[in-house]
Amino acid sequence: MALPHIFEVSWPDPTKLGVDSKSAAILLNEARETFSGHLGVRSDEISFLGEPNLGFHLALSGLLSPNSRLVYSNIDRMEIFAIAQSHPNLQLAASAIGEIDFKGCKISDVVSLQLCNRETGIIQVGRPENCAELFVDATASGTRIRLPENWSAALWDSTSWAGPTGLGVLAISKRAKWTNPLPHLDGRVNPGPTSLPLIVASALAIDSWVADEKNLSEKISAINSEIRTYITTKIPDSDLAPGGADHLLSASFLYVNAEQLVTMLADKGFAVDSGSACNSTNMEPSHVLAALGTLTQGNIRLTIHHATSFEEVKAFLEVLEHTVAELRA
Amino acid sequence: MEVLDCLGKRCPLPVIELAKVLKSKPVNSQVRLLSDDPASAPDLVAWARMTGNSVKEVGDSAFEVTKLTD
Repeated sequence: MALPHIFEVSWPDPTKLGVDSKSAAILLNEARETFSGHLGVRSDEISFLGEPNLGFHLALSGLLSPNSRLVYSNIDRMEIFAIAQSHPNLQLAASAIGEIDFKGCKISDVVSLQLCNRETGIIQVGRPENCAELFVDATASGTRIRLPENWSAALWDSTSWAGPTGLGVLAISKRAKWTNPLPHLDGRVNPGPTSLPLIVASALAIDSWVADEKNLSEKISAINSEIRTYITTKIPDSDLAPGGADHLLSASFLYVNAEQLVTMLADKGFAVDSGSACNSTNMEPSHVLAALGTLTQGNIRLTIHHATSFEEVKAFLEVLEHTVAELRA
Repeated sequence: MEVLDCLGKRCPLPVIELAKVLKSKPVNSQVRLLSDDPASAPDLVAWARMTGNSVKEVGDSAFEVTKLTD
């Protein structure tokens, strides 16, 4: 189904009466079942969010009682740092390779676990075993990593399976002690309504993403190794952040201004992100890179997509090598 | 000890200027670098690790740098 057609058939409110609303309700239920199958949660545990990052607050503030402690890590998303400010909290420090030791967790704690770090690709091997409630940040891992058995709430971002931007999927386990932190009158998790066309488009995207991933994961992995080897061997004074997931990679170059690097790469047709201070709104360097001890200046973050080809990557690496040399001259 | 004042300068300028100053100096020379850029503390540590030199934070916005390799 093409996107314009999705907008044509999914305009009615699925909660109303009438034939059109009924077919919209069928579309919504089918999408729910699709996500349920791929994400490993019950379809009635799923809510859709028009603002994915609102899910951090909805999930964590709903799991926390006024006195419970929030345990999180120094490579978690800034949204979680913000929630920690208004609760008793414990910030755990990741090791140099990004590993987190959750042994200090107490049975009364609410713990936040990031399955995959979206800046570096670090896959978390640490697992909190003893805690009251477990929030799982799956925004970067998508369908790649299964939820741990003891999850209470989990958040995904549609962009992680190449779906449309502006859609989050929040699951709240039926076992969890969760109360809605927003003013509410009924049992809905979010005020809604969330765009049905986006939900349907994202459901189609996750289906085709999962099917492609089986055939393309080896290519993505080989491309990641190629980039790492090239940067390490051909670009002097470079620093690779620890990684893990094949589709993400973060590299820094000493004596390079990241803003200039990102702009020059964009001029040559390559869209990359950066964790350097000059590229952030608050002029602070990435807290993730700083926590890991990776160089924060001259940083670029790469996402390798299913459609990325070896030819493109080769062209990119040559441009990168020349641009870094040019900026250092 | 020579003082290199990079106060008010943004990343990556403090590290670039430090490397320039150290280039002409013999091994074991020391420089006191002043920098209030938020990226300087993590980046000087990373720079020291990558280039084989030594950095010690000695108070607010001040770093003692020792050149250990040529």
